[in-house]
Amino acid sequence: MLRNVFLKSLQEQQRSLFWWVIGLSALNIVTILFYPSFADRPELNELFADLGPLAEAFMGQIEDFTSPEGFIDSQLFSFMIPLLFVAFGIFSGSGSIAGEEERGTLDLLLSNPLHRRQIILEKFAANLVAIALLGVGTWIGLVAGALMVSMDISWLRLAEATVSSALLGATFGALAFALGSARGKRGTAAGVSAAIGVAAFLLNTLVPLVELLEPLTRISPFHYYNSAMPLFNGLDPLHAFALVAMTIVLFTVALVTFERRDLGIG
Amino acid sequence: MTTGSGDVIHLESLTKFYGETRALHDIDLTVRAGEVFGYLGPNGAGKTTTIRALFDFIRPSSGKATVLGLDSQADAREIRRRVDYLPGDIALYDRMTGRELLKFLANLRGGVDWNYVEQLAERFQSDLNPRIRVLSRGNKQKIGLIQAFMKRPELIIMDEPTAGLDPLMQQEFYALVEEVKAEGRTIFISSHIVPEVERICDRVGIIREGELATVEDVHVLKDRALHQLEFRFAKSVPPQVFASLPGVRDVVIEGTTLNCTVVGSPDAMVKTAANYEVVGLTTREASLEDVFLAFYDGDSPNAA
Repeated sequence: MLRNVFLKSLQEQQRSLFWWVIGLSALNIVTILFYPSFADRPELNELFADLGPLAEAFMGQIEDFTSPEGFIDSQLFSFMIPLLFVAFGIFSGSGSIAGEEERGTLDLLLSNPLHRRQIILEKFAANLVAIALLGVGTWIGLVAGALMVSMDISWLRLAEATVSSALLGATFGALAFALGSARGKRGTAAGVSAAIGVAAFLLNTLVPLVELLEPLTRISPFHYYNSAMPLFNGLDPLHAFALVAMTIVLFTVALVTFERRDLGIG
Repeated sequence: MTTGSGDVIHLESLTKFYGETRALHDIDLTVRAGEVFGYLGPNGAGKTTTIRALFDFIRPSSGKATVLGLDSQADAREIRRRVDYLPGDIALYDRMTGRELLKFLANLRGGVDWNYVEQLAERFQSDLNPRIRVLSRGNKQKIGLIQAFMKRPELIIMDEPTAGLDPLMQQEFYALVEEVKAEGRTIFISSHIVPEVERICDRVGIIREGELATVEDVHVLKDRALHQLEFRFAKSVPPQVFASLPGVRDVVIEGTTLNCTVVGSPDAMVKTAANYEVVGLTTREASLEDVFLAFYDGDSPNAA
């Protein structure tokens, strides 16, 4: 695990990643275990419908909450899973370059025969792999839960919705990574990313209530995450590409800003 | 200055601003192959800034730096491949053990003979098994030293290498510096400790407030070394006998106690004092500030 910066960075995250995987898969299983008590109560649909637009914001535009897809989308993919992926992305993204710089280990790392861009590349790749592993854990939790309550749902669709969450996590991870690489301040990178995350979430969920502003949601990553409802319809290639493109742009920002600035001058 | 073929480090009008603050001003400096060069200055003088520019961690505002004939910015990776570095106030990966960290660095650098690493660890009495988090400052410094020496590079740059080391380990470090020098390799050391630089360096550059004050052979520094002496005599002594001695300054007599500063050798002072009954003697090394004063004082010091 100590052969290069990529593996070393992955190893650094291994312990926290382990607990994130446990947490997310447990959340999925426990949530799905409640499904049977929802499934035979169609009157809940009217109840949720009465809650109005704010509830819709946090539970998605679901017609039937008692269907397997409706239940999982409203209970997990509308809020909790994307929130946790975004949180993990910001956590590991802000810790990468800015973490090394704040701890002072960046000098030691960069005293080795490496280009700055190589460190950026390997650390970012490690973060992406960590998010992918969290995605695998999330999917396993969903499938395990579905099996336990004999839920009739496509494993492929579960995977596609999970991939969409992971792409969202990668986008915000790249944002925190870029801010950390550009400024070298972990707290600032995490805080600003989280603020942008909240704003993007609210933009996507509340702005549509005012019809005129609806097109504004196009700038929010959350729009590309779930508006095409991957759990029902599969992953929308264009929406997935939009998230990938944002991630690439932010990664490029990290490369360019880190290449140009003075390092470790506090 | 011109770049000779034997120049290992060459700085040309190196200047660095942080916003309005000037950290380095027009530094011209040449370090020759095979020498141990001491970069002497008080904390905050710009020693670390200079070193970090050599590794392209920071970019000069103007001027340029070459290391082994390579441009500090364009050829940063090649410089890092051929030069090893001990950062000042070194921060290590706390969760790794010393062995894991050294293995990791050896993997990144390539060409490290692990037997030599074990030898270095033994010489510094460094236990590589505990996690770095639990090590004392001195023991962390030893791991930093091992990683700087382990690849046997042609140039080693060290920022305050003996910080936190106990005296025994300092001796081991000095011995290692001698060995590296005997192999014809070059060492650049920053320090704020005058006796240390006197002891191991061939040439010394003195930096103060971002400006290079002087570059001298170390014996020049030794000739101007300052000793603060305090003699306690059995009876009061005549001040004029001492004040006129070569290199002796600031003679103050209070009762039977005499305080003075001696520039260069204290020989004449000690021999003169021996004519009287001495009941006590205290010496202390001069501070770096005093050394500067000796360099910049109007009256030329008289090295006896």
